[in-house]
Amino acid sequence: MSLLTDLMAHSLDAGYAEAHARRRPGEEQHRRGRPRLLLLVGVLAVGLLLATSAAQTRNRASAVAQERDAIAGEIAGRAAQNDRLATALERERARLNTSRRDALRLSDEGQRLTRTLTTLEAATGATAVRGPALVVQLDDARSADAPGADVDPRSGQVAYGRVTDRDLQTVVNQLWEAGAEAVAVNGQRLTALSAIRSAGDAVLVDFRPLSPPYEVVAVGDAPHVRTAFAEGFGGSYLQALRDYGISYSITTRDSVRLAASAGATLRYASAPSGTESGS
Amino acid sequence: MIAVLGLAVGIVAGLFLEPTVPTWLQAYLPIAVVAALDAVFGGLRALLDGIFDDKVFVVSFVANVLVAALIVYLGDQLGVGSQLSTGVVVVLGIRIFSNAAAIRRHLFDA
Repeated sequence: MSLLTDLMAHSLDAGYAEAHARRRPGEEQHRRGRPRLLLLVGVLAVGLLLATSAAQTRNRASAVAQERDAIAGEIAGRAAQNDRLATALERERARLNTSRRDALRLSDEGQRLTRTLTTLEAATGATAVRGPALVVQLDDARSADAPGADVDPRSGQVAYGRVTDRDLQTVVNQLWEAGAEAVAVNGQRLTALSAIRSAGDAVLVDFRPLSPPYEVVAVGDAPHVRTAFAEGFGGSYLQALRDYGISYSITTRDSVRLAASAGATLRYASAPSGTESGS
Repeated sequence: MIAVLGLAVGIVAGLFLEPTVPTWLQAYLPIAVVAALDAVFGGLRALLDGIFDDKVFVVSFVANVLVAALIVYLGDQLGVGSQLSTGVVVVLGIRIFSNAAAIRRHLFDA
């Protein structure tokens, strides 16, 4: 306690009082000249220090902003490149499909194979599909004062009713169960190998970050899927989400086109080279 | 008068020249700033008390900065650098506040 009291009571450097006491007899005479220069130098140093610190802080802030902009730009560029490549891939796939179909059309066996292939491709998400669809739209709670609002004690951010990866997983799985034949989330076609996950605050589908509102499109016998979904666990789950301020809507559309999945690639298997293929 | 002029010239020079601070010195800059502010407020109060002394001002400024930097350096070597710099900021901050209070009493009689 005495340390604090001392600190409060004698905040002024004791040197001032001592110097003052020492000077008394000699009067104010020697205060011209050299000491003035000393003062100027000292005050100059103080000003320089303060200004340097301020300039330093400002520079650092702008450097950080620049870096962030550069990274954001790179992300946008790469994403655009990915999209271009995906479009090119889909075009090539379509060309491959047409030429395969042309080749298979020549025999009965081939025609049967084509039908099987078409069904399988649609089911696995390898090709685009079209058909009547049920659309479930989910959106984060509007404001921070939603019933589910909660403040993250570490970041201080308000984690209001956000749609999480778990919510989307449940909705998608319940749609499959209700009889959906092809499902896409925000245009990302889902396959048996798709993953709905989250990284930070973003929901990722097949490692692609999505932003709300989330639109789950399920192609199938729309009225039937709708009934089955609403009566099953999916319907009650959405009701429960509403308690957290998450809004949703379920609509049917007559015809929706879902693009092929971009993730349909072989990961481990590769085609054997040339001669072995027949054996 | 000369002090205000010097301070202004120093600030303007710092803002325009933007001297680059070497990386190893950057950690001590915040502490140096607090120490400098302490010296400035102390000097201002001494001026109002009528006991200002150039030499004491300059020496206390330089010593404050050096001692504060030394404490933080020592703390860095011992692994308690951030805690010690917090301590330095608290102590100097209290001094700045009580000096500012004394200045206020001088200027406004309240």
